[in-house]
Amino acid sequence: MLNEDGPWRVNPISPLVHAARTVPAWVALVFVAAPAVGFVWGLLTILLSVFVIATLAGLVALFQFVNWQRLTFWFDDQGDFRVDSGVLTRQQRRVQLSRVQAVDVVQPLVARLFSMAEITIEVAGTGESRVRLSYLTRDEAHLLREAILTRARGATPEGTASVVPEETTVLARVPWPTLAMSLLLRTSTAGLLLLTVVILAFAIRREGWSGLGLALITGGVPILTVFAEFIRYYGFTVSEAEDGLRLRFGLLKTENRTIPAGRVQAIEIVEPLLWRRKDWVRVRVNIAGVGKASDSSSGSNGGETLLTPVATRAEALVLIAYLMPTLHVEALDWHSAPHRAWRRSPVQFTMLAIGWTDSFFAARRGRVTRRTALIPISRAQSVRWTQGLWERALNLASVHLDSTPGPVRISGLHLDAAYAKTVVFEQAERCAAQVQS
Amino acid sequence: MTQPAEGNWQSVSSKLALARRITLLFAFVPVVVVVGILWWWDAVPDFVAPTGAVIALITGIWAWWIIGRRVRSFGYLERSEDLLVRSGILFQRLVIVPYGRMQLVDVTAGPIDRALGITSVQLHTAAATTDAVIPGLTPDIAAQVRDRLALAGESRNPGV
Repeated sequence: MLNEDGPWRVNPISPLVHAARTVPAWVALVFVAAPAVGFVWGLLTILLSVFVIATLAGLVALFQFVNWQRLTFWFDDQGDFRVDSGVLTRQQRRVQLSRVQAVDVVQPLVARLFSMAEITIEVAGTGESRVRLSYLTRDEAHLLREAILTRARGATPEGTASVVPEETTVLARVPWPTLAMSLLLRTSTAGLLLLTVVILAFAIRREGWSGLGLALITGGVPILTVFAEFIRYYGFTVSEAEDGLRLRFGLLKTENRTIPAGRVQAIEIVEPLLWRRKDWVRVRVNIAGVGKASDSSSGSNGGETLLTPVATRAEALVLIAYLMPTLHVEALDWHSAPHRAWRRSPVQFTMLAIGWTDSFFAARRGRVTRRTALIPISRAQSVRWTQGLWERALNLASVHLDSTPGPVRISGLHLDAAYAKTVVFEQAERCAAQVQS
Repeated sequence: MTQPAEGNWQSVSSKLALARRITLLFAFVPVVVVVGILWWWDAVPDFVAPTGAVIALITGIWAWWIIGRRVRSFGYLERSEDLLVRSGILFQRLVIVPYGRMQLVDVTAGPIDRALGITSVQLHTAAATTDAVIPGLTPDIAAQVRDRLALAGESRNPGV
């Protein structure tokens, strides 16, 4: 496909794949609608249903065929990637290759049956900045990905047509029992499951069966979440890539994601209480242009900022060293919050601490779920000192280093007020002295 | 608050307090209307409306007073390599933004601000949490600050 110059189209069978993806919805619709309008299930009804489903899917295919005719993409003279699409509303998009954050090859289940893949291009900026091209054959998708990435790096695109990505060195792989176990032992999941047990015990003892509905929610929600995340992160593999780390995961839908080392702004090591015996950690990152503020909740949608859902500490340190070679977490000298901080944070006060090296700043918090946030000082955007009412009463204050939007917050909480102020001025000086990388 | 950063801290215009108090009054109009209607209509027990009025009055006076203190608490200091902004009475904060990290400087003024002749200057970095706003500057000072900051930022930013 990429041998000649563009414009190119996506694969001609794409309309069929699009149509096939809607079939389950039509089946469900017919199953609900048929009895509602008074049909009794019989041979005739089934034949009729099949006919209706085929017609609906056919209409989708027809519509998508027109779409397919109108969808073209090519590299223009300025070296940007262009996508023209749309039937009623013509859309012309120009992707500035210098601003491309990641190019991912995704294989949804139905597409995989046709051995097709779709390609998504993430571009820095806000709003609807993701470009999606579906569908291409697997090989085409990888070729296009390589072509875009090569051009984005400013390299000459010679020989792109022959480069099929080989499997590179695998740095970490999450076995499925570990993934399942870790998801079950997460603090929120374990807490809700425990609560369910308590509710059930009460319900049985008191024979107050009204508690069962509640148990269904407290027990059902975490199980569904665990299930969804298990399917999403199944077979999580981290391998070496030319420009960072390459992630690959998913059971029904294989997702590929690149974490460009140069764009990682901050790293957080998360250790839930029940993981510590196994020495497991989860690692999240802030990436310039990718994270949104809403990712700060530790929901299941943080896939874009996850480095690994679970890994042993040693494995995690290897991955971190890959992204930030000069960082040595174990060598940090921690400066703790004073003992009186227990009156502000009675649970986590023993864990509150900050530390730094020549090029890094780190802050630690959380007792039940321990969080260690790390930021290269050259990537800190600003430094803040804050003091709430209760903190002032105890002569405490907090230190924050601001990073780009994402799940990682670097906050040294409830330190001695005067000490915090000294630290803030020291870090600000170091921050200003280091040119932003 | 101790001051480890010695220097010529600039404060903001006292007109800012006026602007914020006007906003406060606007917020109070619906409260007064609701209390008045309830009283006039005998819709609630007798003690509710006067109690509500007293609570509203006390809150209002307290807010009036705290606005004054809060406006006086604003200060900024332009050092050789960074800008310091401090603010807050109940929740105090100090933000330090190195000039090299500034992405853009906004100068904005709402309708009340414009009527009183004040504007606010906000610094943006790549972080959403930076929160460095200097409100209540007169337009000419705001323009000067903006130009100085822009210049300082340009000379240090390697063009990320």
